[in-house]
Amino acid sequence: MNACRKAGLAHFAVTIIGKDRPGIVADTAEVLFKLGCNVEDSSCTMLGGEFAMILIISHEKPFSKKQLEAEFAAKTAGGGLSAFVRSLKDDEVCYQEPTGELCLVSVYGSDKPGIVYRITRELADRGVNITDLNTKLIGSPAEPVYVLMLEAALPQDLSVEQASQLLENLKKELSVEISVRLITPVSL
Amino acid sequence: MAVQRILLYPNPILKRMSRTVERIDAEILQLVEDLVDTMEAGPGSVGVAAPQVGVCLRVCVVDVSNNRHGKDNNHGRLLMINPEIVERSGLAVMREGCMSVPDYTGDVERATEITVRFSEPDGTQREFLASGFEAVAIQHEMDHLDGLLFLDRISSLKTGLFRRKSYK
Repeated sequence: MNACRKAGLAHFAVTIIGKDRPGIVADTAEVLFKLGCNVEDSSCTMLGGEFAMILIISHEKPFSKKQLEAEFAAKTAGGGLSAFVRSLKDDEVCYQEPTGELCLVSVYGSDKPGIVYRITRELADRGVNITDLNTKLIGSPAEPVYVLMLEAALPQDLSVEQASQLLENLKKELSVEISVRLITPVSL
Repeated sequence: MAVQRILLYPNPILKRMSRTVERIDAEILQLVEDLVDTMEAGPGSVGVAAPQVGVCLRVCVVDVSNNRHGKDNNHGRLLMINPEIVERSGLAVMREGCMSVPDYTGDVERATEITVRFSEPDGTQREFLASGFEAVAIQHEMDHLDGLLFLDRISSLKTGLFRRKSYK
């Protein structure tokens, strides 16, 4: 199973963000490698002109957050990168496997305030757990279009059809297209 | 019953090219039986390929008839020796997981229709058109015979959807 269950490891969440350029990942990985840290889980992407990294890292105990912060401060000084480190408790480390169906919700339409808020509030109130979410503003400056794609684990008592029904009213209210489809992995 | 242990990556056997079966003998029949037993023992398993139980021979079994994606469109239990895909068409993405690569899934693009040809354990040659989930399962199991895992075929990062292109 996941390496997260190894005992004797200290875990940290690290967030790094800065103006995009080649080498941000390599610089970060170099700091971690030299300190003897493992990258347990990570997701990194471009957001606008920024490159954003979110990592769960581990190091054999004893190891302090201060050591990490000091190394990153040295590396990021003057480089336009900001780094943030948070210590994780044991129960924050492991991925909680969703029990219900996994679905992909796509929402798009003319840009207006409240798309993300209304959609995610509706889902949250019904116990739907978002596992991944991307938004993008596309289209032309004259006619901006908002696109939101999210993956979510449904609670056991909610079907994809019901989840779709749940968002039905928001289609009209926000005048956006909304579709929900099943993407639960097939095990082969 | 001879349920075999499913090998997990990084076992190097999973990355090896399997050999063609030259003659269907008692050993091959036993292998087919073991693969079926192993498939039935795996919760929700719809197929097992010989390399997954440590045998590098071109043999796999597939049965999607009990799966929600395959129950209305399948050819029952398939015992495939030296399977070949002679034609493929269409493309669709499905999120796949594999017993040999636990705790990870990825979106894989595969043909939606395949014409598959293989020998049955009694030596009969079969050829038919498979589609939908059955086609996906056959392609996934056959990949194991070429030392390929779904990790070799992941079609996009989840964020790939948003990569900017310039349209002229």
